[in-house]
Amino acid sequence: MTADAAFFADLLVHTLSMWWVIVPSIFLGLIVGAIPGFSAANTIIILLPLTLAMDVEVGLIFMVSLYCSSRMGAGIPAILVNIPGTAGAAATPLDGYPMVRQGRGQQALAISFVSSTLGGLITTVVALLAMPLLAQVGYFMHSVEMVVVMLFGISLIASIAAKDTLKGLVAGLFGLMIGSIGADHVYATPRGTMGFLELYDGVPLIPALVGLFAVSEAFLVIEGESILSRHGLERVKSARWAETFEGVGITFRRLWHVIWTSLIGLVIGVIPGAGAAIASFVAYQQSRTFSKTPELYGTGHPEGLIAPESANNGVTSGTLIPLLVIGIPGGATAAIMLVVLQYQNVNVGPRLFIEHPELGYGVFMAMLVTYLLMAFTILPLSRYMSRVTLVSTAYMSPIIIAFTLIGAYVPRDYLFDMYLAFAFGLLGYIARKTGYHVAAILIGVILGPLMEQYMLRALKMSDGDIMVLFSSNIGNTLWVLLIAAIALPYVLQRRRDRRADSVFAEGEG
Amino acid sequence: MTDSPRDDDVPRHAGGDLVIPVLAFGFTLYYFSTIWDSPWTAQVNAVLVGSILFVCLAALAVRIARDRISGRIDFGFAELIAPVGLLGKRAAFAALTLAYLLGLEYAGFTLSTFGFLGASFLLLRGVRRWHIDLGLAAAMALIGYAVFILAFETRFPRGPFEMLMRAVLQ
Repeated sequence: MTADAAFFADLLVHTLSMWWVIVPSIFLGLIVGAIPGFSAANTIIILLPLTLAMDVEVGLIFMVSLYCSSRMGAGIPAILVNIPGTAGAAATPLDGYPMVRQGRGQQALAISFVSSTLGGLITTVVALLAMPLLAQVGYFMHSVEMVVVMLFGISLIASIAAKDTLKGLVAGLFGLMIGSIGADHVYATPRGTMGFLELYDGVPLIPALVGLFAVSEAFLVIEGESILSRHGLERVKSARWAETFEGVGITFRRLWHVIWTSLIGLVIGVIPGAGAAIASFVAYQQSRTFSKTPELYGTGHPEGLIAPESANNGVTSGTLIPLLVIGIPGGATAAIMLVVLQYQNVNVGPRLFIEHPELGYGVFMAMLVTYLLMAFTILPLSRYMSRVTLVSTAYMSPIIIAFTLIGAYVPRDYLFDMYLAFAFGLLGYIARKTGYHVAAILIGVILGPLMEQYMLRALKMSDGDIMVLFSSNIGNTLWVLLIAAIALPYVLQRRRDRRADSVFAEGEG
Repeated sequence: MTDSPRDDDVPRHAGGDLVIPVLAFGFTLYYFSTIWDSPWTAQVNAVLVGSILFVCLAALAVRIARDRISGRIDFGFAELIAPVGLLGKRAAFAALTLAYLLGLEYAGFTLSTFGFLGASFLLLRGVRRWHIDLGLAAAMALIGYAVFILAFETRFPRGPFEMLMRAVLQ
């Protein structure tokens, strides 16, 4: 069987005929993605007996649909109530939540859905076309290069801290120190664990996410009757379908933005172990760097919402490429898919596309169809979902606390993790009240351990010679790009200021 | 821009601004104490990050001291605990949250969620429409039980209610 146009047309029609699997999976994925602690990977594990009993093709379509939709679902609470469903959506509330407070929740959801859908569609098509090439990316990205990729993400702290750099840096570095808790990667020496065995594996991400965002937000919003401003409240009450169409229009007018930020997600997704959190932070940072209006980021700027949502959906297709082409899973969900495929006696790797092209290419076709169906099923719901923001905070806060704290329990089944989430909640509350950005702390907690892991690996290979970080051509190119990315906003700002001064001087003259 | 007389006269209560730096400083010192005798691989990252953090904390301390000397700030905690009128309610809500965590272990998910939601609704909304609030709390707890324990079979803490339901459903 050859993979020609007729083959892909047949595959598309066949995948569309599987809508009865895809549509329920979409809704299940949206729900589990929206609840912190319930990732696609957890749900697939819970439903593994069911998945293994399915026909291999149906099982794969079910897992792929669930995976894609859970990624989109994680953005919904991030936008509406400032609570990211997963770490991959941690950059989404930076601009999504301010839009909600202004009463633009419906528009923000539409932007998120459309940019997620477009990001997913674009990267799926690119993945289908460039699969052999993209599969090689993992081979070139070693620990040295990954250190620089991590620094790209960490440099977002400086952007977030634009209002008060010193406070932002303190928050980010404190986060990095918290992220260093746990046994060290070489000799397993416990560090900073305060005697808690539960912290030997490091600080678990979901309790940190739940505490810093959800618990602190719940304690903060009880200060008012509603999370919306007075103007925002009026706007939500009088919102019409036009708000959704406006959000769609805003995203399509920034199509180029969607394309390049989703491609960042695709490339980062291909690297095993990198993941959606890094992709969305890097995409947000790069989006801000090259924006004509960087000062609007963090105030409810559509581009600040498009970038992380496109990128984290770009990761989805990226993580499946190494699994299918070279047999290495790029993330937790891909690893579970590998288990299912092996159980069904399907060998992944290059032979998959020769022996079972309908499965190899079928995975990406399922992704394509899922995103298409998702656009039609979820977009109309944005109007109704945004009305969640009208719920009184006296109801919203306790519900947020009850269901997100229990979400912190799910990944490891430790009651300790719920107390940890509560402690992070208190830390987040103090940070918010005193102007230290919780997102900066979270970036440190997420990226700190990864950064340490890659740096140690590089240093171990070179017997502790720090110059190893500048020993590869790709790494050095990335260093130059990193320095350029950090310096560029200041250079562009200076140029804008100078231009504004000259226009002002001409006006005066 | 002209500052109002009030802005000139009243210093900002910046005591709360010190909490995160003090926590960061204390934790970093404690962290260093745990890696003192460790191999370099366990130290390198924390020493690097911790050193930069200390530099930033020193710079922040200088800025705060300068603002204090010039009278722009004092070390009051009013901004951290504001609005003061809500302090009792917020403390009670935090206590309820802690009680919820403690109760989960013994009463299980459904009963403790009902207790927490019901008590929190009454605390934050008042007792005027108590029957609606308690009804909503019961509905939320039962929906949680149906979705998470019955449908998803998650290992949420089990208590008397879950045991009873298991016996009934078997």
